[in-house]
Amino acid sequence: MEANFKQLSRVKELAFMGKVNASLSHEIKNTLAIINESVGLMGDLLGKEPPADWEAYPRLKSIIASIEEQVQRSGAIIKRLNRFAHSTDKPVVNVDLNELVEEITTLAQRFARLRGVKLEVKLASEPLVIHSDPFRIQQVIFAFIERGLWHCSPNETQVTIACRGKGDMAQTIVTDEGSPEGDWLRKRISAALAPACILAEEEDPELAILALTMAQLGGSIEAEDVGATGNKVILSFPAKIPEE
Amino acid sequence: MAGYSVLLVDDEEEFVSALSERLMLRGIEVETALDGREALARFAEKPADVIILDVMMPGLGGLEILKRIKKSSPHTQVILLTGHGATKEGIEGMRLGAFDYLIKPVDIEELLEKMKEAVKTTGTG
Repeated sequence: MEANFKQLSRVKELAFMGKVNASLSHEIKNTLAIINESVGLMGDLLGKEPPADWEAYPRLKSIIASIEEQVQRSGAIIKRLNRFAHSTDKPVVNVDLNELVEEITTLAQRFARLRGVKLEVKLASEPLVIHSDPFRIQQVIFAFIERGLWHCSPNETQVTIACRGKGDMAQTIVTDEGSPEGDWLRKRISAALAPACILAEEEDPELAILALTMAQLGGSIEAEDVGATGNKVILSFPAKIPEE
Repeated sequence: MAGYSVLLVDDEEEFVSALSERLMLRGIEVETALDGREALARFAEKPADVIILDVMMPGLGGLEILKRIKKSSPHTQVILLTGHGATKEGIEGMRLGAFDYLIKPVDIEELLEKMKEAVKTTGTG
């Protein structure tokens, strides 16, 4: 009873957060639309031909073009924010893992740029539709992307996120190359999944939480040996999340 | 002159003001309304060939206005403006007979193209 209440409370909290974020993103879209039309009107009023002896004309046209470009860029960012906010609308839905991975990777691109690491996505050619919790799936995938980014040497490495179907499972594979610490993640995951997982909780509480989240999703985490210079983490999600 | 008329409906006054002026600069006859009731009154007074209609408005929402316009004037084409693509509202709008929907912020060239296509179907353009 208490566990159900806690679960329901968490779902409601997330839904509230998502609803507010979605509403705010809508408001921002409206202000962007006003900026877009106002700057467009400025461009229209300036006209296509520069008035004689007006030196500032080309500069003004260039500033207007720059504002229009930034409006489009902001619009794309807000669109991603809105989609992410809506991922908490319903705790369990039918969802294509390819779409979730594409979305969360786009959100992670900024972190990759700041880190100087290339982030590459390889989606499956077929849809990987599962009945699961999109918010928690994205949370887990993002955490492993972030771990890959932070343990790669900047400017010379890449993190790859791939999707594939394997048997009844839909999988996401996060691979980082050129990690100077070698297969640190594989060792830690082995520790987190070991029976004495209390050790992992002390050493790496986030990893222990991720392992628990994956268990709640009915999935699993595996770390594959790819030599001493990288990590390969395989996240497997079942076709249907277990009923809680 | 472009040869057709437009009713622009949105609760954001500055948006309506700037976009209507841009359309008028292109020779389009524009009427404006800042809410649903005003939109219906304007349309009753002076029917437009195309209505550009914001979906999310306080009071009488865009979809309700669309329903009423389509009931009284089935051949009038309505282009919806939505904050985000493939939303429930956009899809529902298409089901209710909207010509199309565009996502804010709108590209003026895309809007003009869409209006031309809409007018063609009414036989005005």
